[in-house]
Formats: sequence, structure tokens, C-alpha cells
Amino acid sequence: MRQPGSAVIGLEIHVQLATASKLFCACSTDYIGAVPNTNVCPVCLGQPGSLPVINARVVEFAVRTALALGARVGQFTRFHRKNYFYPDLPKAYQISQYDLPLAEGGSLPIGDGKERRAIPITRLHLEEDAGKLVHSAADGRLGHSEYSMVDYNRGGVPLMEIVSEPEIATPAEAREYVARLRQLVRYLGVSDGDMEKGSLRVDANVSLSRKDGSLGTKVEVKNMNSLRALERALEYEIVRQAEVLASGESVRQETRHWDDGNGVTCGTRGKEEAHDYRYFPDPDLPPLVLPAGFVEKQLGFMPDMPWVLKERFCTDWGLSNEDASVLTEWPGLARYMEECVRCGANPLRAANWIRTEILRVLNERKIPIEKISVSPENFSALLTKVEGGDLSTTLAKKVFDLMVSEGLSLPVAIDRLGASSGKLTGPELKAVMDRVLERETSAIEEIRTGKDPKGKKRGFLCGQIMREARGQADPGEVAKMIGEILDNQ
Amino acid sequence: MAVSKEEVRHIALLARLHVEEDEIQSLQRHLNGILVHFGRLKSLDLEKVDPFAREDLDITPWREDTVVPWDGREGALSQAPRREGDYFRVPRILENEDE
Amino acid sequence: MNSLGLTATDLAAAVKNREVTAAEAVGASIGRLAELEGKVHALLTPLFDRALARASEIDRKIGKGEDAGPLAGVPVVVKDNLCMKGIRTTCGSRILEKWHPPYDATVIRLLEEAGAVIIGKANMDEFAMGSSTENSAFFTTNNPWDLERVPGGSSGGSAAAVACGYAPLALGSDTGGSIRQPAAFCGVYGLKPTYGLVSRYGLVAFASSLDQVGPFARSVDDLALALDVLSTPDPADATSSRRSRPVYRACLGREDLKGLRVGVVKEFEAYPVQAEIREALGRVEGILRGAGAEFLPVSLPTTIEAGLPCYYILAPAEASSNLARYDGVRWGLSVEAEHLLDLYMKTRGEGFGAEVKRRILTGTYVLSSGYYDAYYLVAQKARTQISREFTEAFRNVDMLLMPTTPTLPFRKGENSEDPIQMYLSDVFTLPVNLASLPALSLNAGNSPGGLPVGVQFVGPRWGEETLLGAAKAVERVLGKPAAAFGGEGA
Repeated sequence: MRQPGSAVIGLEIHVQLATASKLFCACSTDYIGAVPNTNVCPVCLGQPGSLPVINARVVEFAVRTALALGARVGQFTRFHRKNYFYPDLPKAYQISQYDLPLAEGGSLPIGDGKERRAIPITRLHLEEDAGKLVHSAADGRLGHSEYSMVDYNRGGVPLMEIVSEPEIATPAEAREYVARLRQLVRYLGVSDGDMEKGSLRVDANVSLSRKDGSLGTKVEVKNMNSLRALERALEYEIVRQAEVLASGESVRQETRHWDDGNGVTCGTRGKEEAHDYRYFPDPDLPPLVLPAGFVEKQLGFMPDMPWVLKERFCTDWGLSNEDASVLTEWPGLARYMEECVRCGANPLRAANWIRTEILRVLNERKIPIEKISVSPENFSALLTKVEGGDLSTTLAKKVFDLMVSEGLSLPVAIDRLGASSGKLTGPELKAVMDRVLERETSAIEEIRTGKDPKGKKRGFLCGQIMREARGQADPGEVAKMIGEILDNQ
Repeated sequence: MAVSKEEVRHIALLARLHVEEDEIQSLQRHLNGILVHFGRLKSLDLEKVDPFAREDLDITPWREDTVVPWDGREGALSQAPRREGDYFRVPRILENEDE
Repeated sequence: MNSLGLTATDLAAAVKNREVTAAEAVGASIGRLAELEGKVHALLTPLFDRALARASEIDRKIGKGEDAGPLAGVPVVVKDNLCMKGIRTTCGSRILEKWHPPYDATVIRLLEEAGAVIIGKANMDEFAMGSSTENSAFFTTNNPWDLERVPGGSSGGSAAAVACGYAPLALGSDTGGSIRQPAAFCGVYGLKPTYGLVSRYGLVAFASSLDQVGPFARSVDDLALALDVLSTPDPADATSSRRSRPVYRACLGREDLKGLRVGVVKEFEAYPVQAEIREALGRVEGILRGAGAEFLPVSLPTTIEAGLPCYYILAPAEASSNLARYDGVRWGLSVEAEHLLDLYMKTRGEGFGAEVKRRILTGTYVLSSGYYDAYYLVAQKARTQISREFTEAFRNVDMLLMPTTPTLPFRKGENSEDPIQMYLSDVFTLPVNLASLPALSLNAGNSPGGLPVGVQFVGPRWGEETLLGAAKAVERVLGKPAAAFGGEGA
């Protein structure tokens, strides 16, 4: 039973799938920055006589996503035509799915520990993306444009639409849901989930529960291009609806656009034509029947879910929640961390160093983890040196910088900085010895007065000196020098 | 008559088809005439019949995820009624000028 | 050697054996065309220069001893809804009057790879909607056997071209009878293949689940040859079957039809059909029996009652969606307009003819919210039912014999007043499309008035071989259909 006045949010998320070619034709999906209308062919231009043929990889990616969400994959699904007129839709219909989507059910976990909740998912289906419109107005918006131009490069790019149940209770939850879904698709490698670039788009349905606990009129909110925009837009909309209701009016069912600059949602002007999409099964496409064993095969491609990895980082390695979160944000980063530990690095130190040094480099150079020039093996070796006292932290950071900037291996970088194996000898060693001997006066006294028959005290002094020298002295040399000093006095 | 002139206008708008007043009348007549024929289907017992059982199709053929460039782009763009460089151009999308 | 009057099969052999050159064959076709086009008006776009250039290429290849393909040098006419790259393809409509597709239909590519020489694009009912070719936005084609009558439709131009001997082969498309009915009206063979046998890629769609491309010819051998060239599985068409194809030419050898069971549909007996057609059915039955076939009654109870309404719900529904892309933005007619809605409305209002508008509106109506269940869904169920009845019937028989049309070719203008009256012309052809079956119309002689009389063979899915075998048996007795206007093309 819903609390009266409580917010109810449902999210429809369109995820662009990172296949090489489009959903129904062999054109490239790489449209960003491409010359307009170059990744096109008769099919995605909707030329008379052209016909769609489905891309197998799209189905693989979508099924993997469905499995990761725990959804039921339909062995038999079909495509429908959604008919409407708009310049970015070359066939005047979009090939989508209607009554038999690719998957139904499942859920996405949000929250940690006791706060953990599973947001149920209604469905997951496939559809083709539309082309892009460029409007002539100076501000690039539809409103004041005398004409517009169409680029069909994006037309036909595969989209996976994931619809949640209206079970999200707050803008913060909504934000987390999207962040988790984004993380999920990146982990699966099915999309780069970039809200700014448009490979992950969110539409929200927001309503406030009525006095009797039933769902209120829902308003669709679009045009939220970042997690922050999503949260702000939902916060605004909830307040707006509450104010409308408080003033005794009713909320109008409509689509509103988030205006990030002004921090408001705006209703679309003009009369809202109720769309009659006249859905019917697309006669150009046979039903999608998944071959026997297909779903099982996709299970073999499933990586550990990010929340599972995060849990493991905490339990197995004692990482803090925050550290584990950061490290599992990107699958590449988590893999890097795992590799380092596998090569012998201390997990806590590795976590700390990755969070500080590695992330710093990635940010500075604007590269993904996959492109960093320091391999986990080398990084791990560096960390082991720090662990073992061979290198001071300060020095190690300098070594790391050199490894990054000049792509040097660990030994070469160390050598270049003159921090070679750091063996203390001669005057440096004597200085260390003198420090110890000054401190350990009682032990020296006992040795001199012949109270160290078994050489235990002597051994103790050697040990102290070795420790002081951080293991970078030669034990034989130390023993010899001690002998010289003690026996000569 | 089952279909009114208003409905004909509505359907014409849905189909983005401009029809003159005199056309509306004959279209209305035609639609109503054909609906009578369609009514014959009501006499059939089709309750248990699957509307989408199609034996004529193989199971889904699909294709590999490979990119194949097309060399006909210029041929397509050159047919555009309003071409602007690399784009297809359309007139003002919004009907009302006062925005 | 006079190439006119040769079948495609014989002509291809003659070209291969250098008894006649491709240039001569194509030249003769062009000559015949020039002689008769003024009367018949079969073509929208002649392609003479292109054809002669291609013929030269073929002759060059043959001169070098290369294999130029099974149809090398054979002139062919193609219906104007088949895309040819850079060649005007109008679909008989003003809205595409100046459109030049940027790509070739698969069947065009297959024809040309086989060495065929396309000499022109044939007239048709606009967007394949019609049964008389009177719905062409440009002009009407005349029936070569009686210029006051229609050649049938929608592939009227293709049928007339073969009937006149312009070319031994033509391609048409059939959605509800658009190959078979004009074949019957023009006195030639017309074959609609099983749905999925021939690629639809590049066939401008009318009703996607019903359309098929098929050949017109004046010999059964030629139908088989055409089918061998055209029926390759096409990965660009998801509805193209990947089933392996037989060699159709190889099935024509049998002299007798012993063991062939032919069905006659009980429910069609009572349907009003012109006497000459009933007589032709009897004649063909006699020939088939003579060759050893046995006849059995079959029942298709839903087909007569439900076929027409079912088809006229589903075909327009699909068409309303397929034709939505003609909006003045990417191709075709585009009127001056201040804003987008005007562009759409006026372009389509001006560019589409009356029958197309009727069907788009009907189709939009039956798919629209509130009517989908009552019409579209019910029609789909009826379709399944009709399909099942045919499947049931084919348990007991190998093919069906029935009329192609209820009437002989009618006069121009006779059915234009009442479009629904025109639809009745398809009563025997459209159930075949609904059930996705193959069917063939063959000429069974002429009426006393000299009008062609056609009858129809219908087979189970993938049953083309049976149909061709039976048609061949009839051809052995009745001979190959003559060309209209006699003379060299006879």
C-alpha cells in the first residue's frame, strides 16, 4: 500500500548496443563524428523494396543482459511495427517489440547491506534507433527552426529498452538504479553506457500516489543527460506535482522535457496528439526463435556482477566499502586490481595505490584503464618493492611516473632514478650503524664485558642494523663492521 | 452508416493523406461498403484459431555482425527532393510559427 | 534465324550455339515492340540503348568462349515495381514518377547475371493495387487480344508484353492474383511461386506477407527455366526460405501423370463463373485424366466465404504501413510546403491515385485503435483457417484445378465505377496468397469471341514441380499459346 503523496517512479532506459553493425543491416554503428548519411544503405534508409535481417550479435548481447538481470528469456518472440510519421524515421515505422518482448521479469539490485533492494523489471526488448535531426535555429532547438536536416547514420543502431516496474521511491534511488544499470552493461561489454554520448538514455515516469494509495497520473520526463540531471529533474518534478495537487488542480498527463539550464521541466507546447501507433507484427521478419542451447551458451559469457565483485573485494581482502565501490566501477579497473593481487601485491596497498596513482593518471591523460602503459605485473612488482622496504613510497611514486610517462619497465625506471637495489654500504652504512650503536648502549656494554658468549647480543645488534637499513645492507658486511668496531675498543 | 465523415478525416490524418471534401464522401461510402463484406468474418467460428501461426516461414535467419560499406550513398542523396549537402532537408517541423 | 517466336529456352540455346547473336535477338524484340506498342502500351520505360549495349557485351563474352549464363541473350520485360539501379522505377505511381533507385532488386541481379537482357519496365496498377492496370497513374495497357479490354492487373504490362511476343519472358508480382489473372486475360502462362521461394529484396512492397515475384512465359519449359534462375535463397530477405531448391527444368520429362491426384473444390462449383471458363476447366480435366491423373473432390469451406474480406483487410493493412514512407522527404514527389505536416499531407494527397488512397485508408482503419481486434486480428485468424483448410485438402490430393478468374477479360471502364466489384475478380486467386501456396495460370484455348480463357493449378507449398509437370502435359495436347497479332512472333 503506497503512502498518499509518495513519489512513484518508473524508468525506461534505452541502451545502445555496441555491435559493429546495425540491428537490421550491415552498416557501421560508429556514427559519432561521422560525415552525415555515410553509414547508410537501402535498408536503414528505408528505400522502397528494402528488407531487414537481424544481427545475431544483438540478440546475444540482449540475452546476456536479460540473464544478468535474472529475467526470463522468451524462446519465441517477435517484432512489431510501430507506425508514426517523423523525419528521423525513414520507413515511417520503427521495428520494435510489443506483445512478445525478448525478456520479461528480473530485477536490478540497488543499495548495500541492509539497504539493499531489488527493483523489479517489467521487460527488456529490442528496437531500432532513429536518425538524428539537426535544427536550423541558432540555438539548435526545434522551436524556432524554419527547417531541419536529417542524418540517418544513427538510424537502425540497435537499442535495448529496459523498463522497470514503477517501484522506485526517490530520485536518489532512481539515480542509483541508472548507475547500476550503466555499470552492468559495461561489465557485460554490451554497451559503453554513456549518457552524454547518448548510448544510454533515460525516460522517467513520475507520479504521486493518491489518497487511497493508488497510482496518480503519471508524467513522462525526458531529456536528462546525466545522473545528476536525472536526480535534479525528478526532484523538481515531484515538487511540481505536489504543488499542482496542493493548489487543488489535477496533474495533467503529458510529456515534459528537463531544461538543465533553468532547472525546470517544461511541458511540450501545442496540442498533444494521442499517438495511435497501429502496432502489428512485422511481416518482413519471421518470429525470433532462439536455437536450442543459445541461452546456455550466453551464460558462458557472463562475468561476475559488479556487486558480487565488490562484496568479494570487501570480504576477501578487507577493502572498505568505498574503496571496493570505486574499484568495481569499471570492469577494467576491477580486473586490473585482481591481476595485481594475483601477481603478489598486497590488496590494501594495491587498492590504495590504484585509487590514487592509477586513477590520477587515467584522469590526467583521459584514457581508459585498458590503455595505461603500466601492466598489472609491473605495478604489482613495484608495490612489492614498497612493501618489502626496498623503495620508499616517495621514490616509488617517482618510479611509477617514469614508467607511465616513458613506458619504462620497473628495473629500468629504478635504475634511471639511481635507486638501484639501494644497498647501503660504506659511510652510509656506518652512519646507520652509529645510530644503532648509540641507542643500544647496554647491549654493547654486555658484549664488551664478555657477557655475550653465544653471540646473541651481537646477532641482536646486527638485526637492529639490518632493520634500520631496511634490509638494504649486506649482513656479512654488517657483521664484519660490528666486529671491527666492538673488538677494537 | 458505421463510419462517419469525421472518422474518415481522422483516419486520413493518421495516414497523412490530404483528402478533398468530395473525396471524403466517396471514401466514406467505400469504407462502409467494404465493412459490410468484412462483417462476413463474424459468422465464422475462429475462437480457437491462432492469429499468427505462420507455417510459411523458416525460423529466424540472422546475419553475422560484420560491417559492409555501401557505395550507393550518392545515388540515394541525389534523389532527395530537398538535399542540403550531406543531409536530407525538411521544412519547418512545427506547424505553428508563434513559439 | 528468326528469334521471335522462339521460347526463351530455345533462344538461349541458339545464342549459345551462335545460331543467332544476342544483338539480333534483342533487335528483333525491339522491332516487334515498336510495331505493336502504339496499340498495346505495355511499357512505361523502354530500355533499348541499355539493352543493346548489354547484348553486345554478351556477344563479346560468347565470342571469347565464355559461359554467359542460362538466359544469355534472352530479352526480358520486368514489372515497374522491381528496383533497377539508376533506372526509373515508378510502380505505376505519380509519387515515384521520377525515382531512380540506388540499388538493384535481387531478382534483377539474378536475371542479369544469367545473361538476360532487360528491354523495358512494364506498366502496372499503381503500387500493384488493382486487377486491370487501369489504376496506373500514366495510361492503361490494352489487352492484345481485344484492345477495348483490359489485360488484367496488376502486372498487365508484363503479361501483354509476353502475349505480344516482345519478349519470351517477363517478370511480374502477385499479391492477390496479379500474375495469374493477367496471365489468364492475356492468354499466357503466369506462375506465382510459393511464398519465400523467390527473393522480395528490391520488390517495392505492397503487402509483405503476400507478395511474390514470378514469371510470365509462353511455354512451360520457360517457366521452369525462369524459376531455376530466380529461386536462389537470398540472405537479404528474411522471408526467403533457405530450403534447397530442385532443378525445375528437370521435372518436365515425364510423359504421363499416373498417380497424380487432382482436387476439385466443391464450394467453387456453385460460384458464378462464365460458361467458357467452365468449359475450359472441363477440357483441361479431360486432358489430365487422359494422361492418367485421377480426380477427387475437396472441401475448402472457409475460402469462398472468408477469402475476400480476409484479404481486403490484411493486404491494405500491410500496404498502409509499407506506403507510409512516401512522404516527400527522401525520394519521389515532394510538393512545396511551409511545414512538415503540409508536406506529408499534400505530397501524398497529390501523389497517390484513388485506389491507393482507398486501400491506405482501409488499412489504417483496420489497424487503428479500437478496430484492430475486430478486423485485423479476426482476419489473421481467418487466414490461419484458410491456410489449414488447404493443408487438409492437400493430404488427399497433389494439386487443385480451379478457375483463375470468374470472368473473361472485361472491357475498360467496366469495373471502375465500383471498386468492390473489381475486387471480386480475385476470388479464386487471393486465397492462394493467403495460404502462401504456389499456383500457375495456363491458357486453355480462346473463347468463340477470340478471348483467352485461363485455368489455374494450385499446389501445396514447394509443389512447383507438380504444377509444372501437369502444365506440361496439357501443353503437349493443346500446344504452346500463340502470340497475339500473329506474324513473326507467332
